[in-house]
Amino acid sequence: MSDTSVEVRQRIRELLVDLFNGDRFVGTVSDSVSLREAGVSSTALVSLLVAMEDAFGFEWDDDVQPEVLRSIDSLAGYVVALRN
Amino acid sequence: MSGEDHHDLSYHDTPRIRTREGVELYYESTGEGTAITCLNNFFINAPFWREYTDELVQHHRVVTYDFCNHGASSRIAQEPTWEEHAADVIGLLDALEIESTYLIGTSASTQLARDVALEYPDRVKGLILAGPVLGTKGMRRHRQLNRSWLLTLKSHGMAALYAQMYPEVISGEMNEESGTPGFLGLRESFMAMSTPEELTNGLTLVQSGDTSSELLSRVQQPTVIVLGDDDILLSPTRGHEVAALFPNGRCEIMPNAGHVPFLDDPAGFQAIVRKFVEEAEAHV
Repeated sequence: MSDTSVEVRQRIRELLVDLFNGDRFVGTVSDSVSLREAGVSSTALVSLLVAMEDAFGFEWDDDVQPEVLRSIDSLAGYVVALRN
Repeated sequence: MSGEDHHDLSYHDTPRIRTREGVELYYESTGEGTAITCLNNFFINAPFWREYTDELVQHHRVVTYDFCNHGASSRIAQEPTWEEHAADVIGLLDALEIESTYLIGTSASTQLARDVALEYPDRVKGLILAGPVLGTKGMRRHRQLNRSWLLTLKSHGMAALYAQMYPEVISGEMNEESGTPGFLGLRESFMAMSTPEELTNGLTLVQSGDTSSELLSRVQQPTVIVLGDDDILLSPTRGHEVAALFPNGRCEIMPNAGHVPFLDDPAGFQAIVRKFVEEAEAHV
């Protein structure tokens, strides 16, 4: 795993901590687990996506595949791919 | 988290209600008082309603449930007919000891609400029809739209169906306000609430049923049509004309709302429902 990938994952976790007002929830979620199945609502996901735009300096596209939004892993992979 | 309670689609661990042979329905009953029962439109499930009934449950008993063969309700080999869906509503009311209820229908389930009111008039106190699929001369436009959704689903899958439906069903205002994150977030809910098979079966059933406007004149219960003025099926003018077909009907327009108006303005929608129920109860 590249340093960039690790950094992006960590930043996404920080965003989730901010959104959930603490790390109690985020601490239980592994990088690969489905965020929806872990309890992240669609409204919460919207907040995360907006926060990611600000944090990483890009804009989401309507054509993004559903799999991209599945987990911290897949979200980070998308950001890293954009940077490359 | 600000959105923690919104679009929480998790199911409660509650017993199912048996409505007929082989059929057990998942349901939620929240609040006390006059009953209001919400009818899904084949795309949404019982938990989805929580966000859009949070104020109603402070004053009324709100019942939501999953259709047979959808969500957390039981599966049977034969897809239910409209008549069986109507019978399930009554079975649900019986089991919950609800003598009569107001019905909220949305899109395709406004047809079910109409059918339950006609078939079981003593069990229905009034109808709230959000984005109805009922017209002044039938509803060819809805059938055509629904058929195109079915074709997209079968040919290209759930994500493509969502991408087609979103600009059709969601208001222009909400589309612009929500942006791409809103589009993607609602897609997560959309794809979590139904399987392709469930949607195929639901949309296939929607292609059937009586769309005769004459049926509306037989509905004796007070009825309110709640229509976004950005609804793809009915213009505000048409909404008022459809409402006038009901012996005791009226139309409420929600500015800048789309085909599912409670998505645009949950509080505004619930205020309309509350006002309607209060007025109807005052005349009982």
